Amino acid sequence: MSHSENVKLEQYMVTGSKLYTIHCSSCHQSEGQGLAKLFPPLSGSDYLDNNLEAVPCIIKNGLSGEITVNGVVYNQPMPAIPQLTNLEIAEITTYIYNSWGRNHGIVEVKDVEKMLENCKK
Amino acid sequence: MENRSSYILVVLLAIVFASCNGQKEKKKLPIMGRTEIDGTDTVHHTIADFKFVDQDSNWVSTETFKDKIYVADFFFTSCPTICPVMKAQMLRVYDSIQNKPDVLILSHTIDPKHDTVAVLKEFADRLGVESSKWHFVTGEKDDIYKIGQTSYMVSASEDPAEPGGYIHSGAFILVDKERRVRGLYDGTKPDQVDRLINDIDVLLQEYEK
Repeated sequence: MSHSENVKLEQYMVTGSKLYTIHCSSCHQSEGQGLAKLFPPLSGSDYLDNNLEAVPCIIKNGLSGEITVNGVVYNQPMPAIPQLTNLEIAEITTYIYNSWGRNHGIVEVKDVEKMLENCKK
Repeated sequence: MENRSSYILVVLLAIVFASCNGQKEKKKLPIMGRTEIDGTDTVHHTIADFKFVDQDSNWVSTETFKDKIYVADFFFTSCPTICPVMKAQMLRVYDSIQNKPDVLILSHTIDPKHDTVAVLKEFADRLGVESSKWHFVTGEKDDIYKIGQTSYMVSASEDPAEPGGYIHSGAFILVDKERRVRGLYDGTKPDQVDRLINDIDVLLQEYEK
């Protein structure tokens, strides 16, 4: 990774961390551990491993109905956060994919834009 | 003369130290709320009578908490803001009182329209807690708001401008066996919940013979 890429990743992580605290940590908790069988974990989540493309859509549009994470079925609705910009969604996605043992690297805003265009209706 | 005044000083200091020590050994929690003097009696603020239904469809009333101390709060299951943090913190309180039969938890929903008995049951089960220890109750909306505001000294009301549609305090309220409020804590702050967990023990000591 070049120096400038590194700096960009760090910037995404810093802002992503702040946005995570504001918008996500209440339910998913500060270390992404989730809460009992109410809110699924993000840390160590097999859903995150397999569904990067869906994550920006879920952050922006919310989610309702059942979702299975690490073999546990969760069914608490997740609210939409329509006011988030594509850049902010990229920062949050980058943060959760580079924390708690994950080192995915940056999730670029242009990739997030494509993912958002392909959200399931 | 000088000897005498230093003697007095020593005696005074000894008294001050003794009284400080005495207080430290028997730390007492304050009794909160408005106090009224009725003749020669001091009448403290107490929690009014109530009757709600819990996650097992059982009545939960003043009688349920007879000879118990308890921690109360107000929340709703679909709350997207502070409630999940409060529940994560209340879960710490729950874990800390597992071996304390005289301590219970009472969570009131402020959204009884959505939070039916079945919804509360599902919520409690998913949180993994026992209904004998932690009651999640619903009832008439006005009754719940009224007891929140007048008995527990917290705010709870509908507010369409808020995410989720309700505005409410994140307070945990510690109530003693005489139904008096003995502590108010911010249920979203781990350090205040640490203090609550400690204060439960302080309060229990008042009842030890």
